[in-house]
Amino acid sequence: MALQIEEKPTEYVVERKKDWVVLVLRVVAFLATASATLVMALNKQTRTLVVATIGTTPIKATLTAKFQHTPAFVFFVVANGMVSLHNLLMIAVNLFAHKFDYKGLGLAMVAILDMVRIYTFKSFFLSNNQLTNQSTQKMINKQVTIDDLLAPMQVNVGMVSGGVNAAVFMAELGKNGNDHARWNKICDKFESFCNHGAGALIASFIGLALMLIISSISIIKLVKLKSTHLQP
Amino acid sequence: MAKSKGFFIIFMRLLALGAMVSAIVVMVTSHQSATVLNLTFTAKYTNDPVFKYFVVAEAIAGGYSLLVLIFFSKQSKLWRLIIIMDVVVTAVLISSISAALAIAYVGKKGNSHAGWLPICEQVPKFCEQVTGSLVSGFAAAIIYLILLLSSLHAILTPAIAVDP
Repeated sequence: MALQIEEKPTEYVVERKKDWVVLVLRVVAFLATASATLVMALNKQTRTLVVATIGTTPIKATLTAKFQHTPAFVFFVVANGMVSLHNLLMIAVNLFAHKFDYKGLGLAMVAILDMVRIYTFKSFFLSNNQLTNQSTQKMINKQVTIDDLLAPMQVNVGMVSGGVNAAVFMAELGKNGNDHARWNKICDKFESFCNHGAGALIASFIGLALMLIISSISIIKLVKLKSTHLQP
Repeated sequence: MAKSKGFFIIFMRLLALGAMVSAIVVMVTSHQSATVLNLTFTAKYTNDPVFKYFVVAEAIAGGYSLLVLIFFSKQSKLWRLIIIMDVVVTAVLISSISAALAIAYVGKKGNSHAGWLPICEQVPKFCEQVTGSLVSGFAAAIIYLILLLSSLHAILTPAIAVDP
């Protein structure tokens, strides 16, 4: 018990100094993805077009361009929304982690992880009681460090990249059309819709780049390796 | 435990490489000619920039997998770089498959609001081959995601090694 009380303050001080760069990047990434979501979700344009002319009276039709018309844009909005919420959660965890000790949650996590380990890698794990006690002790008493947010970060990167790329290629189709498939372009009629969509896409790309940088920084600063390299 | 994790990851990389190669091959060999109202038009994968991007992205990811499989054995000092490149390649794979799926959906179901008609009824064989290629690409993306998460898990859990 005495050892643990002595160890905590030194870990605390070291972690705080390194946190600011990643925190600022996370905030900017959150702002980028949130703005992309908002701009695309509110993207709508209505225009009255002359469809045909019978005699002297033109027939007008009111056409609306909404983001819901295209499943790729729907996926874009949903993915960016989820990722921005998750980014917000990770910022909160980064800021407030050292104030909460998640002892109860740690026990649940350890129990679940142990069950997964035992059922999947039966013969390869040591059943040495001493070692498992040590590792479980460490898992229960640890603070949330920068390494814990790695796995969610990669999933977020994947989601944003999928959403933004699908939307960008649909936007390219809308802007240039496709002669081989006889698909007409729509950006010449709905300029404001296209411009707003382009802005949302740029914001999402910036968010994706920042999240990749955050992932790389977190991986470079991995400190949890013990003496034996677990080389993938 | 390190050895079993190492084998698992090498096996996943091989599997992903196979999926990527098959996606590329099936996409590149897909073409069909159709005659509509005396106009012959050929459906090839180069007609649409998305499918070109799909082939190029899968080729890049496949080349990267091959490099890592051949040159980087265990206990390499560049493991951090490999994980970072794994993140980038996973993002590239996911992006290529989702973009191709978006355009393929328009090709199959059309978009009534934009006045885009589906083309799959005129060129069914082309559509089927593209679908097969996309399924393979999707499998490659999922395999790479699992590979990435298991590499991270192998590194982040405390090393259960015997220290006598």
